[in-house]
Amino acid sequence: MASVTIKNLTMRFPVYGADNRSLKKHLARISVGGKIGKAAGQAPVVTALSNVNMKLKPGDRLALMGHNGSGKTTFLRTLAGAYEPDEGTIEVSGRVAALLDLSLGIDPSATGYDNIRLRGLIAGLTRREIDEKMEDIAAFTDLGGFLAMPLKTYSAGMQARLAFAVATSVDADVLLLDEWIAVGDTKFRKAAHERLLDLVERARILVLASHDVQLVRYYCNKVVRFDSGLVSKVRPIEDLDELMAMPVGAPA
Amino acid sequence: MAVADFVGACRRVNLAAQLAWHDVLARYRGSVLGPFWITISMGAMVLGIGVLYARLFKFPLDDFLPFVAVSIVLWGTISSVINEGCDTFVAAGGILRQTALPMFIFPMRLMIRALINMGHHLIIIVAVLIWDRQTTLPGALLSLAALLVVLINIAWVGTLAGIISARFRDVPQIVAAGMQFAMFMTPVFWKPEQVGARHVLLEVNPFYYMFDAVRGPLLDEPMNPKTWPLLATMAVLGWLLTFAVFTGTRRRIVHYL
Repeated sequence: MASVTIKNLTMRFPVYGADNRSLKKHLARISVGGKIGKAAGQAPVVTALSNVNMKLKPGDRLALMGHNGSGKTTFLRTLAGAYEPDEGTIEVSGRVAALLDLSLGIDPSATGYDNIRLRGLIAGLTRREIDEKMEDIAAFTDLGGFLAMPLKTYSAGMQARLAFAVATSVDADVLLLDEWIAVGDTKFRKAAHERLLDLVERARILVLASHDVQLVRYYCNKVVRFDSGLVSKVRPIEDLDELMAMPVGAPA
Repeated sequence: MAVADFVGACRRVNLAAQLAWHDVLARYRGSVLGPFWITISMGAMVLGIGVLYARLFKFPLDDFLPFVAVSIVLWGTISSVINEGCDTFVAAGGILRQTALPMFIFPMRLMIRALINMGHHLIIIVAVLIWDRQTTLPGALLSLAALLVVLINIAWVGTLAGIISARFRDVPQIVAAGMQFAMFMTPVFWKPEQVGARHVLLEVNPFYYMFDAVRGPLLDEPMNPKTWPLLATMAVLGWLLTFAVFTGTRRRIVHYL
C-alpha cells in the first residue's frame, strides 16, 4: 500500500562553495582562530524546506508548483530518500521510482542496452527482472538499432526516452518526476503520456514538479505551492488558479 | 546508523559487484583483449623491473623475479584502492543525489573492482611462483590470509579517503603525492635487508608490514614479529575511526558532492 506521511519536515543545506572546500583554507582558519575566522569559514546554510506537513494516499497525483529555487527538487530528492531531513520525519511506504535527473547512472560510452541494465540495477531491479522487461523497455524507447550504440551518440530527447522507459518500468508505488516532459518530440510525449496515465490508473502516487499549468491540470488531482521553502496546504487541482494567484509569503 | 547502512549495502552487494564489473569492462571497452590488458601491462612491468633491478642489485633472477612480482602486484592493489578511494563518493554523486542507496555500496564497488584487477594480476604471480618452485602450500595459504587482512586495512583507508575527499578537494592530490612517495619508501622494488632489517624507515611505515605479511610466507622470508599484531590493531582501530567519521558525516556526504 503506497503512502507518504511527512511531519514537520525541515531541510537545511550547508553550501560548500569553492571557498570552503580547500583543506588549506580550513587549516588556515584553525591556525588563525578567533571570531573573524570562524564566521568567515562557516558554510552558509540555506533552508530549502521548512516545516512541511503532508499526507498522500493511493490515487493522489500531486503537482508541485513554484518558482525556480522554491524547493521542489529538494522535496523530490527528500522523498526519494537521497536527503535525510534535518528536522521532522518522512515516511514513504512502497517502492519509490524517481526520474529526477536524466543522467543517473549513465555511462556515455556504454550502449543503450547496457545503460538500461545499469539504470535498472540502480533502481532496484534484479538482472532477471531487467531481462524480462528489456523487450518492453526497448519497444517503448522506440530507439530500435540505436540501443546497440553508445549513449554518447544519442540526442537529449533520445536519452530522455531511455531514462523515462526505465524509470516507469519499475513497479513503483510512488513515482517522482521532475520536469521530465521538457524534452522529447510529440510522438514520445504521447507515448509517455499514455504510460503515465496507465501508472496513475493503477492507484499509485505520482508527484510531479512542473511549471506547465496545462500539464499539471491534466495529470494531477492535487496541488501544492512552494515559496522559498514554505509549502502551502495540499489543495484540489481545481484551486490551482486561486493558489497561484495568492501573493508570495501567504500560502495557505 | 552507520551499521544499518553497512548492512543495507551488504544486502545489495550484487549491485556493487555489477557496478564494479561495469567499471572494469568500461575501461577496456573496444579493445580486442579487454581486461586482459591488465595482465599484459603488469606482466611487462614485472619482467622489465625484475630483470633490470636483479642486475642493478646483483640478485639472482630466480630469487628477485618472484619477489618483485608479488611486490608490484600488491602495491598496485594498495595504491589503486587508496587513490581511487578518494573518488568513490564524488564519482557516485549523481546516484547518491537521487536514490536512497546505502552509501557503503560505493566502497564495496571500489574493493570489488580492485579484486577483479588483482585477479588478473594473480595469473602473473602464479606463473612466476610455479616457475620458481619455492613456494609451499602452507606458505601460500598464510600469505592469502595476510592478503585478506591487508585488504581489510586498505578498505578503511579508501573509505575514509573517500569521505574526506568529498569534503576537501585538495585531499586526492595530497593522497596521490603521498602514495607516490610511499612507493619509493616501501620495499617494493628493493629488499628490506638492503637498508637493514630493523631500520627505522621500515618500522614506521605501515605499508612495510603489509608487504612483510603477504610476501614473507610466500617467499619463505623471515617475518618481523610485530607484523601481525600491528596489522590486526590497524584494522580494528582504523575501522572504528572510519565508522565514527561515517556516522558523523553520512547525512552530509550527499551535500558535499
